[in-house]
Amino acid sequence: MGDIIQIYNDYKDKADFLTVYVREAHPTDEWQMKSNVKDDVCYAQPKTLEQRVAIAKDFTARYKFPLPFGIDDMSNAADNAYAAWPERLYVIDGTGHIAYRGGMGPFHYRPAEVREWLAAKYGAVKHEAPTASAQSSAASTPSPASTAALATTGGTASTTSTR
Amino acid sequence: MKRLLKWFAGILAVLLLAAFGVLCYTAGSPRDAYGMVRYALPHMRRGTLRVGSDAPDARLLALDGVNHFHIRERIGARPLVLVFGSFT
Repeated sequence: MGDIIQIYNDYKDKADFLTVYVREAHPTDEWQMKSNVKDDVCYAQPKTLEQRVAIAKDFTARYKFPLPFGIDDMSNAADNAYAAWPERLYVIDGTGHIAYRGGMGPFHYRPAEVREWLAAKYGAVKHEAPTASAQSSAASTPSPASTAALATTGGTASTTSTR
Repeated sequence: MKRLLKWFAGILAVLLLAAFGVLCYTAGSPRDAYGMVRYALPHMRRGTLRVGSDAPDARLLALDGVNHFHIRERIGARPLVLVFGSFT
């Protein structure tokens, strides 16, 4: 499971989650990454909302992505409001204010910081250290590059402390 | 004067070449270096939101492709973790 999915599973009883699909980061007709070709994640930049929905459905089906999901409209309203592209994390508190603002992905995309924020509020969640076979299995799991954002492998399995 | 200009142009060219080389190394390839400059660079200083800012609203389409909802509707007593991203 990716970092975000793990965080979701750990804190879904304490916090709400919403994934927002924004325009593609590395479509075939713009800046395609070799890793996406290797992982067979090849899509042109959607020109219609229907195309965005189709890609979002492919994504959630392929990774059995459990988080609630919304799709940005073709004016990129959510992307523009949150400076979200290509990937970014936020936490909004109960008063409707930004409580955490992550950096621009992929270099400053840090799910661990969201985990820390949640851990500071609700306590950390302890996980067993991954076994060698689990690590091997995770390494062989296909994972799109940017997405990183949404479903990278590895990550927080060794997070420590107590709830 | 002409000779000085030639030297200046030469040094500038070498510096640009070195910068491009570093960018290629950082990005992974010349193609990725171009992609970084063309697509990523303009976004690096985007956005004015800070911790404490009002969370902006936006209308989203549900995964069923039919229903719409607003981010604001998902803000309640509990914190809301927003995850922005795409497939590629």
